[in-house]
Amino acid sequence: MTILTGKAEAPRRLRVRSSVLRKTWEHRADYAYVLPAIAVMLIVIAYPIYYTIELSFFNTPPGLQLRDKTFVGIDNYTAILKSPVFWTVTSNTVIWTIGSTLVSFVLGFACALALHRDFAGRAILRAILIIPWVISAVAASYIWKWIYHSDFGIIGAVLVGLGLADRPPNFIDSVSTVLPSLIVVNIWREFPFAMIMMMAGLQTVPDQLLRAAKVDGANAWQRFWHVTFPHVRNVSTVTILLLAVANFNSFIIPWIMTGGGPSNASHIWITHIYELAFGRQRWGVASAYSVLLFLILMSFGYFYVRALSGNERKDASE
Amino acid sequence: MSTIAETAHKGQARRRVRIDGWRWGGRIFLLFMLLYTALPMIWMLITSIKSGFAAMQFPPQWWPDQPTLASYQKLLDPQNSVGQDFLRFFWNSLFVSMATTILSVIVAVPAAYAFSRFTFPGRNFLFFAVLLRNMFPAVIFLVPLFILMRAIGLVNTHGSLILTYLTFGLPLAIWLLKGFYDNIPVQLEQAARIDGATRFQAFVLIVMPLSAPGIIATAIYSFIGAWNEYIYAYTFLSKNEQLTLPVGIQRFFSENTTDFPGLMAASFMMSVPVVVLFLVLQRYFVRALTEGAVKH
Repeated sequence: MTILTGKAEAPRRLRVRSSVLRKTWEHRADYAYVLPAIAVMLIVIAYPIYYTIELSFFNTPPGLQLRDKTFVGIDNYTAILKSPVFWTVTSNTVIWTIGSTLVSFVLGFACALALHRDFAGRAILRAILIIPWVISAVAASYIWKWIYHSDFGIIGAVLVGLGLADRPPNFIDSVSTVLPSLIVVNIWREFPFAMIMMMAGLQTVPDQLLRAAKVDGANAWQRFWHVTFPHVRNVSTVTILLLAVANFNSFIIPWIMTGGGPSNASHIWITHIYELAFGRQRWGVASAYSVLLFLILMSFGYFYVRALSGNERKDASE
Repeated sequence: MSTIAETAHKGQARRRVRIDGWRWGGRIFLLFMLLYTALPMIWMLITSIKSGFAAMQFPPQWWPDQPTLASYQKLLDPQNSVGQDFLRFFWNSLFVSMATTILSVIVAVPAAYAFSRFTFPGRNFLFFAVLLRNMFPAVIFLVPLFILMRAIGLVNTHGSLILTYLTFGLPLAIWLLKGFYDNIPVQLEQAARIDGATRFQAFVLIVMPLSAPGIIATAIYSFIGAWNEYIYAYTFLSKNEQLTLPVGIQRFFSENTTDFPGLMAASFMMSVPVVVLFLVLQRYFVRALTEGAVKH
């Protein structure tokens, strides 16, 4: 400004001041755009987190008489770690999360690869494959409950019809098969998400590179591993993390299909917390569980943010 | 199916054998995935047109001897109690989902714009805080929210659901929209401002129309999320008149444990609105969903 005008001092000072003022004002305006979002989030997030942490150090009488709580220190936490249910539920959660995530991702990625090349009917096929992800998990749970039904279920009937079983198996009523059976339902709902993400990822792979690799004599696997995969590595990481978090936080499928049974064989952390809180009204223990869950998810979140900001850094350097 | 086979056949004539191996593998895999995806839904439809008696047979009737729409008629008939309940649940779901959608668009649009365009202290922190919210399961927030809702007198009202649905819809809505705003050149706004528009006018007149696909996507996301939500509705609502569909069909099921055709019909009708909405608008939705993550 001064270089251009090169004139009197006084107007310049005035201009500076007014620009500072304008900046501050615009600054406030910036906050005004986000303020409603922040307000909603604060009420419904910050307060619940604070309350959960507080409650985890207290014992409460049955019912919702939370004012009559008594301070018990870390007793709730030690009680959790000593309880045998904790280990059952934890191993279930690990199997559920890892199994669902990996299989969903692999199936979704494979679908994306198979759907990447254009062919007649591709759009319809893709739309059908996505539907399970859109319909409600409650509806999905009931559909599969009916499919698994131990008297009239269709899978049992097929197995009996093929002579592979004498009578329909109890898919979700038996301790040994319940968790895998539920994972199959969960994958049914989740793989379309991986498919969508990976289809978008594949669109970023430059065609010329693939053709060049082909000319150079790379076979399909080499083209995939050396050209396609490096290009979709970031989106894969994000997809896997999102799937893992979603699976870790699942509630509806196990809750509606089995309620955690038989004998806790399909209880995962979330359903167990829900039962402790709203079923047995052990608010303190449930809160302590929630705090532990919170800590686990924070470490998930750390990797998540790192994966995302890794993306952004690369963006900036490009 | 014939179309897939045809294309594969044409390919076979043109290409060398090794590539066809991969392509055939892909086709067979897709066929398997199609069966895995579609058969449960087809079985839901077939069961829904059976009579209660026909559903309870072993081995099952693959196709009912006497297909009947009785279950659908019962659910949609305002004269009997089942129909009354179902239609009420349907209406409740519609109301809650619409309200959530409208509010979350109103809140998310300016927030996403701010995250995309402005720098202000704590911007990154806030943005990731918004994202982190999506990591925490509803169950963690349930006890305190239940108490909070009771304190402000919202338990057993749809307001409690709308407020909580906003919080889990907002983070992703903001994230989705930010991706859209990032792709709209700032120059367009600058041009408008040089022409004398204020920042707000530039936002409303230039940026908003361009981001319409993103807004549509956000709205679909909010709607589907609210329509399918179960845990909060299950915990906050206890009066029959207020239940939304996911909780409603659960109650329906616990009262009619043997009525699988009815349950399947209800599941089908509950899925129709979101599936139709999604299929019509999926182009926007898929683009928005993947926009943020696919950047590399």
